Amino acid sequence: MTRRRALPFLAIVFAIAAITTEGQSPRNASYDIDVRLDHGARTLTGRETIRWRNISTRPTSELQFHLYWNAWRNADSTWLRERKMSRNYTAPLPDGWGSMDVTSVQLRELSGSMRDLTSAIRFIAPDAAPHEGNTTDRTVMAVPLDRSVAPNETIELELAWNAKIPRPVSRTGYIGDFYFIAQWFPKLGVLEDTGWNTHQFHSPTEFYADFGVYDVRITVPTRFIVGATGRQTARTDNGDGSTTHRYQQEDVHDFAWTASPEYIDLTRTFTHPPLPPVEMRLLLQPEHRGQADRYFSATEAALKRYGEWFGAYPYGHATVVDPAFQSQADGMEYPTFFTGRARLFPSGSRQTPEMTVAHEAGHQWWYGMVATNEFEHAWMDEGINTYATARVLDEAFPGNRWELRFFGGHIPWSFPDIPFSRLDNDRIAGYRDNAEADVPATPTFRYWPSSAAIMSYNKTALWLHTLERHLGWPVMQRILSTFFERWTFKHPQPADFFQIVNEVSGQDLTWFFDQVYRSSNTFDYGVQDLLSERQDDGTYRTTVIARRYGEATFPVDVVTTFADGHQITETWNGLDRRAIYVYERSSRASHVQIDPRRVLLLDTAYTNNSRTLEPRGGAASLGWAARWMVWLQDLMVTYAFFV
Amino acid sequence: MRFLSEGWTRVRSAPALLLGVYAVTFVLALPLAITMRGLLQTHLGSSLAADTVAAGVNYDWWQEFSSQSTGIGTTFTPAIIGFAATLDNLNSLIDRQRKIAPVAGAVALYLAAWTFLTGGILDRYARQRPTGTAGFFAACGVHFFRLLRLTVISGLAYAWLFAYVFPWLFLEWFVERTRTMAVERDVFLVRLALYLVFGTLLVIVNVIVDYTKIRIVVEDRRSALGALVAAMRFVWRRRGRVAGLYALNGLLFLIVIGIWAVIDPGVYGGITLWLTFLAGQLYLLARLALKLQFLASETALFQES
Repeated sequence: MTRRRALPFLAIVFAIAAITTEGQSPRNASYDIDVRLDHGARTLTGRETIRWRNISTRPTSELQFHLYWNAWRNADSTWLRERKMSRNYTAPLPDGWGSMDVTSVQLRELSGSMRDLTSAIRFIAPDAAPHEGNTTDRTVMAVPLDRSVAPNETIELELAWNAKIPRPVSRTGYIGDFYFIAQWFPKLGVLEDTGWNTHQFHSPTEFYADFGVYDVRITVPTRFIVGATGRQTARTDNGDGSTTHRYQQEDVHDFAWTASPEYIDLTRTFTHPPLPPVEMRLLLQPEHRGQADRYFSATEAALKRYGEWFGAYPYGHATVVDPAFQSQADGMEYPTFFTGRARLFPSGSRQTPEMTVAHEAGHQWWYGMVATNEFEHAWMDEGINTYATARVLDEAFPGNRWELRFFGGHIPWSFPDIPFSRLDNDRIAGYRDNAEADVPATPTFRYWPSSAAIMSYNKTALWLHTLERHLGWPVMQRILSTFFERWTFKHPQPADFFQIVNEVSGQDLTWFFDQVYRSSNTFDYGVQDLLSERQDDGTYRTTVIARRYGEATFPVDVVTTFADGHQITETWNGLDRRAIYVYERSSRASHVQIDPRRVLLLDTAYTNNSRTLEPRGGAASLGWAARWMVWLQDLMVTYAFFV
Repeated sequence: MRFLSEGWTRVRSAPALLLGVYAVTFVLALPLAITMRGLLQTHLGSSLAADTVAAGVNYDWWQEFSSQSTGIGTTFTPAIIGFAATLDNLNSLIDRQRKIAPVAGAVALYLAAWTFLTGGILDRYARQRPTGTAGFFAACGVHFFRLLRLTVISGLAYAWLFAYVFPWLFLEWFVERTRTMAVERDVFLVRLALYLVFGTLLVIVNVIVDYTKIRIVVEDRRSALGALVAAMRFVWRRRGRVAGLYALNGLLFLIVIGIWAVIDPGVYGGITLWLTFLAGQLYLLARLALKLQFLASETALFQES
């Protein structure tokens, strides 16, 4: 083994050792839950015991809980108010609402007796404008205590609740016999040194919670197959037509489950030494039985590459769910448990299920283990993961192609001539259209709802990819593996990530984060002019005017190529509005390019980054206009049906 | 089968008609294609991107162009490539997708041109002998306003189908019946069934309108309404033959687009681009020949009944 090969190998071995021995989570919010699904009534009845340790530096005399399903209790919840601002909003149907009612909250006294706090329950909306005074939102429940919980003190609570399961909405609910149950139990917020961090449920955000040990017993009709976070440790036939499935998992911050009698239950083991093996369980819809290999290979691709690049997956098992059609449960992540997306008629394109599965598997690292606050900094999970997924897909599934779907989205048509590139997986197209939509440093819950994803996913993936091209992949890989290693199970903040970037790269990149994170300015460099004039002495005077059209700045190369093949590269800091370069050479200029290696992927208009002395658009535009004309003629002939 | 064959004989005996309607299709599409070329050329300017765009697909440039486009530029999507164009346009028709004004205008002009030419075409197929250019356009002129009135009537029928029946079927009934379905196969089958139902309604109107046109021209009827009633009577009395012939012609249509799907020339640059353009034009020629085949075979059936 060469030294070059030995280093990554040793890094993986150390990473595994670190995670599986010392790197465990604080386990300060542990849940012991019994839940029963009433299939006929579409309800859940649950009881939970929470053991919570105050790991902040401040005492608290109040507890705050998320009751996420109350986002669909009425049309005035913060979630639905925000959703209405989005395009394509459709109100829930009359039978589509969901809700959660806590019927009992009890605190175990030091004496061991239980103190009933139920009557003290109140609902709060911690996030200010534009939802200040939204007293109708019931997604955050506050429970005052009559005493203070000191730092490092542990308390035990018992809660009981009833919940009405919604029709599919935001990755939860039921359709037919299919259930996907997420964010389904009263769940503590996070007490930080600055106080409780318990946002009401917002349309563009996901979640934030402390780590703990989950021991969950799910009772469902016996014919149902159940999948969940963690490992199944017991299965008890209750003799009344119901079966209780027990799942346990340590060091996670959430728990979700699914139940359906239709699942095909498949398992396979991922092995790629020295990474630890992972038992993969796939719960597949019967109509997608031919796509099992695609699900497994995408999961393996993520486990292998994320494991090699950032750190090993420590849990030893993962459950992948192929959700039912129209369940809205596709493409979502929970600890050790995530959903893919498949279609009845798959195409040659690898967008489904591969892209979705690899992405959701990748969340296990950022959302699952690093566990940033997705209410406030969704980019730290979604953006980093989108960037990393694009890299995985580029390596694991080269030759991916674009597809379009017709006739209600059922019939695919893929384009062998249009590669689905890494840039497409970085989601560059959506970014171009919304580049200025928000300042990424804005807390996620304050993003404009319809453009929130662009900031969290697209822009972040593109600036991380830009950073990769600026610093090189080895440095970028070390940045992310350091970030993962140092912050696993610790809820890092954006500053922690930026600090690691600066530390590992050995550069102060604050200027870059000022551009891409603390500003909504856009990047656009272009060639304003290229002149190459013959002088009296037979030489050519070539003038290049490079222009910064956007407000954001980034250093770029300006490369001028001459007719004799000679190239001159200038490094422009990109700060001024223009940079003018004049060359006296024996050869005429051929063309000039700004950023020819395309380091700055955030440039919203790359076409203007190059210029030739003679326009070249003629042949290209003629060819594509001809193709477009065939489409138009076809349209005319098709509509001639009417006459 | 006899009328199918007879129709094809009539189509083959008048190649000028086919070339004529093809020329109309080409000429009416050309102005917008020139406009599109201008948009593409302006966007590419002197950029080096033009080289890769000319050689094949530069999808990064394509997406940048799309994000900056308005008007007909917004129709420049991958759906224009090869067989995807056929899928896109059939989907557009059956799923009632709106088109932007310039494209809708070009289509409206094209339909108007067909309304004008139909009189001459049917007259030529009915006579089964060359009518000459003057005779052809004279027949076009004689029947134009009658056929225009028919187009208004049939337009109302189609408008009713698309404005009332379509939303009831696809936006209400379909949504209501499928919203609780958890299996895509089931939803797809329901949609397919609705396409069949809606497609059948469209075909019924289409068949009646076709025979109305034939009666107007062959029987020199001045009243579009009278011809319509007579056509309905004809279609009802000979429903088996009428439906059989339409189904055979429909099968030919499926064969033609099936062949096009297999051939799907893809994207090439240079000389191959023009070969693929030529292939596209040949496919359109086949589609237009089929359109004429419908009219010719139906004329043959009417004349022999």
